[in-house]
Amino acid sequence: MLTRRMLSIAAGGLAAAAGFPAGLASAQDARPDLARLKPAGFPSQPMEMTVVYPAGGGADLTARLLARTMEQISGDRILVNNRTGGAGMVGHAWLATQAPADGHVMGMLVNLVWGDAMLRAQGRWNYTDLEPIGYINSDPMIWAVTTDGPFKDMPLARIAEAAKEKPNTFRVATVPGSMWDYLIEQVEQNTGARFLKVPFQSGGAGTTALIGNNVDIAPAFFAELRPHIASGRVRLAAIAAAQRVRHLPDLPTFNEALGGTGYEWTLIRFVVVPKNVPADRKAYLSALVRQAMRDGALVEEYTKMGVHFDPALRDAADPAAALNAEAEKEREFYRRTGRLR
Amino acid sequence: MDAFSGLLLGFQIILTPQNLILCLVGSVVGTLIGVLPGIGPLAALALLLPVTFTLPPVAGIVMLAAIFYGAMYGGSTTSILLNMPGEAASVVTCRDGYQMARQGRAGPALGIAAIGSFIAGTLSVLALSFFAPVLGGFALRFGPPENFALMVLGLISTLFMISGSTLKGLIMITLGFLLATIGIDVVNGQERFTFGTINLTGGIDILPLVIGLYGISEILTNVERAMSTSLVTSRIGSVFPTRADWRVSLMPILRGSGLGFLLGLIPGGGPITAAFMSYALEQRLSPHPERFGTGTIEGVAGPESANNAAVGGGMVPVLSLGIPGTPVTALLLGALVIQGIQPGPLFMVNHPDLFWGIVASMYIGNLFLLILNLPLVGLWVQLLRVPYRYLFPVVLLLSVVGTYSANKNTFDLWVMLGFGVIGWFLRKFEYDFAPFIIAFILAPLMEQSLRQALVMSRDGPMIFLHRPITAVLLAVSAVLVALIVVKPRRFIPGGGDV
Repeated sequence: MLTRRMLSIAAGGLAAAAGFPAGLASAQDARPDLARLKPAGFPSQPMEMTVVYPAGGGADLTARLLARTMEQISGDRILVNNRTGGAGMVGHAWLATQAPADGHVMGMLVNLVWGDAMLRAQGRWNYTDLEPIGYINSDPMIWAVTTDGPFKDMPLARIAEAAKEKPNTFRVATVPGSMWDYLIEQVEQNTGARFLKVPFQSGGAGTTALIGNNVDIAPAFFAELRPHIASGRVRLAAIAAAQRVRHLPDLPTFNEALGGTGYEWTLIRFVVVPKNVPADRKAYLSALVRQAMRDGALVEEYTKMGVHFDPALRDAADPAAALNAEAEKEREFYRRTGRLR
Repeated sequence: MDAFSGLLLGFQIILTPQNLILCLVGSVVGTLIGVLPGIGPLAALALLLPVTFTLPPVAGIVMLAAIFYGAMYGGSTTSILLNMPGEAASVVTCRDGYQMARQGRAGPALGIAAIGSFIAGTLSVLALSFFAPVLGGFALRFGPPENFALMVLGLISTLFMISGSTLKGLIMITLGFLLATIGIDVVNGQERFTFGTINLTGGIDILPLVIGLYGISEILTNVERAMSTSLVTSRIGSVFPTRADWRVSLMPILRGSGLGFLLGLIPGGGPITAAFMSYALEQRLSPHPERFGTGTIEGVAGPESANNAAVGGGMVPVLSLGIPGTPVTALLLGALVIQGIQPGPLFMVNHPDLFWGIVASMYIGNLFLLILNLPLVGLWVQLLRVPYRYLFPVVLLLSVVGTYSANKNTFDLWVMLGFGVIGWFLRKFEYDFAPFIIAFILAPLMEQSLRQALVMSRDGPMIFLHRPITAVLLAVSAVLVALIVVKPRRFIPGGGDV
């Protein structure tokens, strides 16, 4: 149970026990540092952690676990608030243009915010209106197939070949205008495969369609696939990450499987504050997020949810710069593919 | 583990003071948020989710689930008393429930809603206990083509519901369809009719629309009519349903339970569609279809049973497959995940204590809700004695709070007020909202599933005939259309002035 484990870890204190790299300070060591960074009189009221997706989803759970740990470390009150609508557009715009920039509002965002800012915000706001203050975790996209479908035992390269020999026959679930689409498009362009792209409103709906044999391939994330892998219904074909991930050592990357590069599509979760938050408050919040992410219990909770910690982002000296570099990579993709001029 | 030993285990787990108290708390909170217009189960669950972090997994889920089905009990209360749906799923209850209240029969309406909900809730938990794994597989067979056929059937059956002018009914259906096209196109991701505002990218939310159209316009109409009188000036009459009420309500309750459970299983179904289709079914089967809409008790018994049964049905794919059909069930799954429990096909095998604990709690919860709601009927009926000038500011305030709490977006309040004014005009010209609402709810699913089906089909529209479930649903729809065309006066009460 959550509580008991948290208590035991707070008492015995071991981040390393949860498989977190040694050498990082445990929660207690850095607390004086955090106290030193805490601006006088801040926070003067409970803080809000905005989530732009509905309660109960992956982003929401990530935020609630984080807020809880941050509360425990700092003693500050942090409330998770779901500002939903327009597949995240409403909440993103609120954070970028209307949220108070006094440090009392943070946003727990997913990198889908970049596509919103670059393709759909129509100049009303930009992703640079939101300053990253800490990296949380990543979820690389995975292609899953059923164990009794046409691709039951095929490696990804064979799947692509089959879809080239019989174009527009095999069905793949997609979410229009998003990384689901982009990854399929890359595979098609580089291998000559042609899929029937069946649109769904969310990745979860695509997974359900896969289980029900209404599509042959579903791009999805590990957490939603795991129960169906366990039941033997679903097999994973490849993961769209730069390297193989620790929790799925036998799953090849798209780059390996197709002998290419650039098949990298990952949900990245991170915390932002609105632009113009005073520097001392931003530094404090950033240190608080970083401290929370060193908490063994939190890392274990996230690990159980089946996410991946990208060392390049986790260990970056300047997480804001590292995340913004990822955003620029995405902008480059939009330019190259003619989505953005 | 067979169902009997499973249930035994479940009751052993649930019959502890802590679990019983949490089940009771969930039932009370659920009833309350069901009664309060605007505040739905989703907002309440999101608010209480953090509380469950510190509880053992069974206890947390038991409480959240009780809120979910409790809301369906409470939802009918304001529909009947104030013509203002407490939940979107209780929209259709307004039609006959409110008319009954105006005739001094609010008590029987509330009573039959509570008892119907209890019977439906219990029957659906029985079905959940004994057939969950089989039924989970059935739910999976509903891919895009099946969903489309189901939506067609739903839409056709609502044609039976059109009261008054057929032409006006068809206008409302068309408007519902048109309004539902606002938002992001699911096939190509483009924005439609958003006029450059971010607030419309997700389309118009059903909650502010329903609260505005029903609640706010009702307030406007009443305030205009007479501020000084209470709602029911004459008599309140008996509180409990009569023997005759029972006789006519029993079959609607049973049919509503079956229909609601089946529709609850399917991702595209859910409590709202179930309530509407049950109403249409009862009207179709009734020897006196013309009485529907004028305060007939079958029009309350059927839909209120159906929306409760749909909650039980909705738990089947959640517990047997880990697949949520509605945002509320998605939140229940989230609560499990945060406890470190993986919902999915193996949930029953790996966590029999949790599975059967939740199922057992639903039997107990339904019993709590019946015991809680029957005495409340007398209390609620007294509410009608409160002069309207004191009542309406409170109702208005609750509507505003409830509507805002769902998305925390002030735009929703403008939508609510806008539709309040539109509803006020429509009432003056005697347009019925029900066809509009059902078209608005069905249209996005219908469009999406039609286009998905055509994309995944290798031979165009023939996909609808190749798949057995789809073919049967469409055939039934065709028969219904034929009935309407052949005998319009018999099947569209009051119709014929087209």
